[in-house]
Amino acid sequence: MSVAVPTIAVPGIADAQVGGVSVPAHERIVLPNGMTLIVMPRHDIPLVSFNAVLRGGESACAPGKSGVASLVAGLLEKGAAKRDAFEFVDAVEGVGGTFNAAAGPESIAIRGQFLARDQKLMLELLADALLRPRFKLEELENLRARQIELIKAAKDSDPSELIGTYGRAFLFRGHPFARPVIGSETSLAAITHRDIVDYYHNHFRADQLTLVVAGDVDSVWLKRAVTRAFADWPRSNRPINKLPQPVRVSERSVLLVDSPGSVQTYFWIGNVGVDRHYPDRAALELANTLYGGRFTSILNTELRVKSGLTYGARSGFTRGSVAGEFAIRSFAQTQDTGKALDLSLQTLQQLKEGAVTAEMLDSARAYVLGQYPLDFETAMDWAVALGEIELYGLGAGYIEDYGTQLRNVTLPQMHAVIETAFPSPDAVAIVLIGDAAELRTQVGRYGPITEMPLTRPDFDGDARPPG
Amino acid sequence: MSLAAPAFRTHCHRDAACSSVTEVRSVELKFCYGFMGDWTGRIRAMNKSFGSHFLTVGSLTAASEPDVAPRVPGRELVRATTLANGLKIVVWPVHDIPNVALNNWVRAGSRNESPGITGLAHFFEHMMFNGTTRRQPGEFDRLMEAQGGANNAFTSDDVTVYQDWFPRNALELVLDLESDRVANLAFAPAVIESERGVVYSERRLRVEDNNQGMLSEQVQATAFVAHPYRFPTIGWPADIQTWRMEDLQQFFKTYYAPNNLTLVLAGDLVPEQVFELARRYFESIPRQAPPEEIKSPEPEQLGERHFVIKRKAQTPLLQYAYKAPAAADSRGPAVNLLLSILVDGDSSRLHRQLVEETQLAIEVGGHWQEGFDPGLLWLFLTLPEGADVDEVQAAVDTELADIVEHGVTDAELARAKNMTAAGFWKKLATIDGKAQLLGEYEIFHGDWLKLFDAPALFDKVTRAQVQSAAREILDKRRRTVGVLVPEDAAASPEDTAALPEDTGA
Repeated sequence: MSVAVPTIAVPGIADAQVGGVSVPAHERIVLPNGMTLIVMPRHDIPLVSFNAVLRGGESACAPGKSGVASLVAGLLEKGAAKRDAFEFVDAVEGVGGTFNAAAGPESIAIRGQFLARDQKLMLELLADALLRPRFKLEELENLRARQIELIKAAKDSDPSELIGTYGRAFLFRGHPFARPVIGSETSLAAITHRDIVDYYHNHFRADQLTLVVAGDVDSVWLKRAVTRAFADWPRSNRPINKLPQPVRVSERSVLLVDSPGSVQTYFWIGNVGVDRHYPDRAALELANTLYGGRFTSILNTELRVKSGLTYGARSGFTRGSVAGEFAIRSFAQTQDTGKALDLSLQTLQQLKEGAVTAEMLDSARAYVLGQYPLDFETAMDWAVALGEIELYGLGAGYIEDYGTQLRNVTLPQMHAVIETAFPSPDAVAIVLIGDAAELRTQVGRYGPITEMPLTRPDFDGDARPPG
Repeated sequence: MSLAAPAFRTHCHRDAACSSVTEVRSVELKFCYGFMGDWTGRIRAMNKSFGSHFLTVGSLTAASEPDVAPRVPGRELVRATTLANGLKIVVWPVHDIPNVALNNWVRAGSRNESPGITGLAHFFEHMMFNGTTRRQPGEFDRLMEAQGGANNAFTSDDVTVYQDWFPRNALELVLDLESDRVANLAFAPAVIESERGVVYSERRLRVEDNNQGMLSEQVQATAFVAHPYRFPTIGWPADIQTWRMEDLQQFFKTYYAPNNLTLVLAGDLVPEQVFELARRYFESIPRQAPPEEIKSPEPEQLGERHFVIKRKAQTPLLQYAYKAPAAADSRGPAVNLLLSILVDGDSSRLHRQLVEETQLAIEVGGHWQEGFDPGLLWLFLTLPEGADVDEVQAAVDTELADIVEHGVTDAELARAKNMTAAGFWKKLATIDGKAQLLGEYEIFHGDWLKLFDAPALFDKVTRAQVQSAAREILDKRRRTVGVLVPEDAAASPEDTAALPEDTGA
């Protein structure tokens, strides 16, 4: 079957605007108490979005208390100042607004969106939640009980969505990135009201906050109103919490999470990758795009397109202030688990041995450039992006210069990134969720196995530190 | 945080759960169900229900500002044309970013299947990426990605939609690729066999290893006795393993005809150029006889159907499926607002009563299956470990009876209208959302123009209309209730039946 492709349009990167993203005009103000405010007016749609990012997050919680930051975030929506939990959510949703607070490994972020006419109410609710949360004991108990049950529910209906949590617990053992942001059934049960209040007093301070407001906003009014609302908030003068660099594993080991009766095995293969300030970010994204970041990737081609073993196979880097993980994720029916793992490790080996060609590099470049503008379409997209830039100290060039960086990546740079940032298939932590009785003999050859039941109420069990 | 409708009725070509994660999102949602969405920036439009979101900024809002509804921009910009072979093309030019979203709507879903070939519409969605007589398997993706484009597709009860997101200068390539697979699809036996494995893996992920998916498949199959809405979109296992080449060829000829397709594009485009390219690439594809109408309308349901499944589980599940109108029904806005009042957001009735006040449930969600034919209005509940399922069912019945008997409050209706309006604007903020909304109106309401009238229709809905929608739909005699309990839980005697049973009439 020969292929006759007719004349096609000019290659993606020939159009100067393709992949070009310039940061719209915005103002950045640092208040006397250290709080950072960024305002980006965009008047295309009558919505205002905000993203309030506070340093801290799960990695700032005490060991054994995983989930404190997540519960603090959840409780911000459960009553503040004059409103109890019901009154607060009625105020938000009554005008069609959204208001969601959530924790991450290194921050808590509150994001929301309101119709432009409600921006005054939006600011009032945000200031109340940040400055005057009620933290009622009863609300804590309800939220905690519910979060514990939601973890169980996820194990019943979506075990693949927990695999990264198991993976990080196994790979980063001893490092804050090992801890589950959502908490575990065990750690959540141990959290006290005191833990919540202590977290708030330590981390909810003006100099820890960046507030980004983008959209159909009256910026003159907003700057004045924010300054007034937050003027009395004290600063903490805490130095930025520096996390230790995680250590890569140097051998292979296996965590087998037993889910009896599962017809498919969900797997995760990872090692410590690189951080947010990694200088060759463009080459890294292109290399990952080719390895496991898009449909025609090496990994997906082998596991799905050629062999039909799985519905999907992907890879990605998670990058924090220090290195997060590189991980492969996929799944295959139980009896094909070994075959799928072998193919995954083989493709990683091929990548390390130079599978990437100049033609592949050009294709990845066009792909990433072509898709990049879709990440910056809405006011909320910008609020999120600018919040990240502040959190990690990245600078506006992180977005604006990226297109140029992508255009300039060379094949030797790609090979260097593959050499340094991607793990060797001999040095990875492997996590499997599946039917252990069927899997033990299949997976013993990959390394020493640690086993735990899926129903176990934590994510790290008695797992030994790998490698 | 809300539990959206499980993805059970919509199946995608691509695995969204494992999409590329090259950037740390600074926030990991604190509950597991929201997790996926936060990590899939580039995989757009996955598993969206066809629930509609419309603008209303009406007189019932809590705000004190005057009630001037912002005009929905775009009506005067959108252009449409129909080729000689019946292919309709709708274009919404938007020049905010140098990109385009294209949806190719095929009027074929699991509704168009029959026993023995269930899952075929969805399998077809996969086969459409697997080569033509002009291009080898894999070429479609390879060429599109090399020019900066990404793609996906999904199948529902009613439709199959192919989606492409690409930089504007890849327009001609994308139209070439899309027309090629409609005109020249290849049916290579080896590829068919390999793709069966992929689809079966998707079934294991969404149904067999997923209690929510397993239960909803059983509820759907029980709720309908005649209409093909009873078929799971992913297909019954035996059918996935046995459908034949002739089945595929016949299905393709019938449904992948230009007169059964609609192309919708939004983005950095000039409509006349799109039409010209569409003529060049699509006009030679011959029209086919229109597909047959669905022969078996669902007869009136005469009594409640209720069943219990026992599975390996920690948390019990409870699902309700009420018979509900088709998408184009004039009661549509009232039905959407009713559902919003019941389950949309933490201030909704069922969430507040069952999750916050009594803590009988840990998650409540809902979904109206808006299709060509009368479908279902779903309620989903996840219960805490050890829950007394009977007690929860009684509490749900009390809440639903209350809304039927006493209706809703002004504040509830205003809230639902405002949330719907905000959701509408949020969708309009992206080219992908614009393309989706235009397509939903064109396909399910017969005219994309109706999108621009929808806000006014929502705004006009009264409390009486919501109550009457509740009275008509929330009728126990016309519902199916599925319960999933842990297999080791103590069971009451009547809960031991494994098969669905009619408990009414």
